[in-house]
Amino acid sequence: MARIPLLLAAWAALASLFAADPAAAQDKPPLTVGAIYVGSVNDYGYNRAMKDGLEEMKKNIPGLKLIEAENVPETAESERIMEGMIQQGAKLIFATSFGHQQFAFNLAKAHPDVVFEHAGGWMQAPNFGNFFGATQTAWYAMGVAAGKMTKSNTLGFVVGVPIGYAIGNVNAFEMGARSVNPKAETRVVVTGGWADKAKEAAAANALIDQAADVVTMHVDSPATIIQIAESRGAYSIGFQSIEARALAPKGWITGLGFTWGPFMTATANAVIAGTFKPAMVRLGLGQGMMAVAPFGPAVPADVQALVTAAADKIGKGFTPFTGPVADNTGVVRIKDGETWYGDKMGNFDWYVEGVIGKAK
Amino acid sequence: MNAALIAGVIASSILSGTSLLYATLGELVGERAGIVNLGLEGIMLIGAATGFAVAALTGDPYVGLAAAALAGGAVNLIFAYLVVGCRANQLATGLCLMFFGLGLSALVGRPFVGALITGLPRMHLPGVGGAGARLLSYDMLVYLAAPAALFIWWLLFRTRWGLVVRAVGESPAVVYAAGRRPAFVQYQALALAGLLGGIGGAHLSLALTLTWAEGMTAGRGFIAIALVIFARWNPLWAIAGALLFGGAEALQLQLQAAGADVSPFVMNMIPYLLTFLVLILWGWNRQSAAPAALGRTHFGVE
Repeated sequence: MARIPLLLAAWAALASLFAADPAAAQDKPPLTVGAIYVGSVNDYGYNRAMKDGLEEMKKNIPGLKLIEAENVPETAESERIMEGMIQQGAKLIFATSFGHQQFAFNLAKAHPDVVFEHAGGWMQAPNFGNFFGATQTAWYAMGVAAGKMTKSNTLGFVVGVPIGYAIGNVNAFEMGARSVNPKAETRVVVTGGWADKAKEAAAANALIDQAADVVTMHVDSPATIIQIAESRGAYSIGFQSIEARALAPKGWITGLGFTWGPFMTATANAVIAGTFKPAMVRLGLGQGMMAVAPFGPAVPADVQALVTAAADKIGKGFTPFTGPVADNTGVVRIKDGETWYGDKMGNFDWYVEGVIGKAK
Repeated sequence: MNAALIAGVIASSILSGTSLLYATLGELVGERAGIVNLGLEGIMLIGAATGFAVAALTGDPYVGLAAAALAGGAVNLIFAYLVVGCRANQLATGLCLMFFGLGLSALVGRPFVGALITGLPRMHLPGVGGAGARLLSYDMLVYLAAPAALFIWWLLFRTRWGLVVRAVGESPAVVYAAGRRPAFVQYQALALAGLLGGIGGAHLSLALTLTWAEGMTAGRGFIAIALVIFARWNPLWAIAGALLFGGAEALQLQLQAAGADVSPFVMNMIPYLLTFLVLILWGWNRQSAAPAALGRTHFGVE
C-alpha cells in the first residue's frame, strides 16, 4: 500500500516533464522537415553526406526544424518512424535510402499534404519525388586519378551489391583509368551487402594481395576499406562523402562525394512556397549535386590538373558511354554511334574491357 | 592459382576464423555444462561494442579487450541467472539474449560510431620479411587462439573442474548426489563462456575492422553455435571448424579478386555450401556426441 503514493509521485514528476511546452512560446518554424537514415551519420559515407546536405539546408532556411532518425531499417519500421515525424508536424520527409522507397510511397498516398523525397528510386506521385546523383559519368574522373597514380597498373574496386548502377560506376572508373593509362586493369570483389564491415576488410585485403595499389569502393561507408588500404600502404579513392579523406592521411588520392545541400534547400523552399513539383532528379558534377574531394598530399599537380579537367568535361555533359564499347569478353555492347544516357545507367550487366570480374 | 592467392587465403582464413574460434570455445564450454546459449550473437556484439567503446575512450586496445571480456561475462551471467536460477527455457531465453545484446550493443556503441582507434597491434615475427610478413604478422588474439583451444581442452578433459563440468552436462542429478552443486558449476561455465564470447566479438572491432557498426557480427554467433556441433563438442576440432568456415569466406573473396570466372552471387554462397557439404559428409557417423543433459532444465533440489 505504501507503494501507491510513491507511484503517484513518480508519475507526477514524469508528467511535469511533458507539461511545460517551450515550443509554444517560440515562433512557428517556416517548415518542419523529417529525415530518416539507413545507418549512422558518423559513417564517413552515404549517411554522412545526407546529413551534411540537410544541415546545409537548415542553415540556409533560418528557423527550419529538422527531425532525424538514424539506423532506420529498410522495413515497415521505417513507415512507423516517418509517421511519427508527420505527427510532429513534418511537411517534408527525406527518405534517404533506396530500400525506404515503398514505405515512403505508402505514406505519401495516406498523407497528400506532406511532400516526400526519396533518394535513388524511381517512383513518383503528386507529392512524391525522386533524387540522386549521376554517379556513373563522375567515376570517370576518379579513374583518371587512379590510372595516373597506380604503379602496379592494378586497381581494386569493392562493390556491395552488383546492381546495374554500381557496375556502371566500375565501368566508368576503368574507362577513365584507361584514358590515361592503357595498361590499367580493375579487379572487382563483390561482398554481397552494402554494409558488411568484416567482409569489406577481407575484400580490401584480397585486392591488395592481388597487387592492387589503388583501392576504391561502392558501399555505404568507405571507412573500413580506406583504413585497410592505409594500413597496407595502398592508395585509396573515396566515395559517398568527401569527408572520408580524414581516414587516410597518406594514401588519399581524391574521392567523389554527394553535395545534397543545394537540392535540399531548393526543395524545402519549394515546399514552403507551395510550388513543389515531383520529378526524377539526377544531377551530376556540373549541376552541384556531386563534388570531387580535395586531393591528398601524394597527388602531384599535373595529375590534379588532369582530374579537374576530366571533371569539368563531365560537368559539361561528356559521357564515356559512347559507342563502340566492348565488354571484357570482347562482345561489343554499345554500338558505334550509340550513346547510353542517364536512363540506361541501371542496365549494366557487363564489365568493360580491362575489368577483371564477372558481372552476373 | 598463384602464390599470392594461396598466401592470401591462408592469412585471411586465419584472421576470419579467430573470432569464430573464441566464440565457438565459449559456446562449447557452456554446452558441455548442459546449457545451450542461442544468444551468442548478442554476447559477441556486446563484446565488440564494449571493446571498441573502451578502446576509443582510453586509447588502449588492451583495456578495451579486457572490458569486452568482462562485459561478455557479465551479460552471460544474467543469462545464467535466468536459465539456471529461474529455470527459464534455454532456447527462448537465448534468443531473447540475442535481441538484448543487439540493442544494448547498439546503445553502447552509438556515441562511438566513426571513432578512430588504435587497434590491437600486429606483431611481426622477427627475421621474417617479404611474403612471409603478410602470413605471419597478426595481432595477439590470433596467436593465442589455438593455444586457447588447447587450454580449454586441457581444462575440460584433464582437470577436476572440467570433469565436474562435463558431468553436469551429462547428468546434474549424479553430480548433486556426489555432493557438488550443479547450479554453481553451470554459473562458472557460463561466466567463462561469456568471457570467450566477448573476446570473439572484440576481435572483430578491435583487430579486423577497427570500426563499430550495429549488428556487425552478421550472424557469426550462430555460425559458432553450428561449429560446436561440427566439432563434436571437442575444442581441438573447433580449431579445424573455425579455419574451415573462416577459410571459405576468405576463399570466395580472394577468388573474386583473382578474377575467377564465376558469378559473384554463387561466390557469396560458397561458405554456406561448404559448411552444408561438410555437415552432410560428417553426418555419416551418427553416434551422438552431445552432452546427455544438454538443453534440459534441472529441477532437482539445490
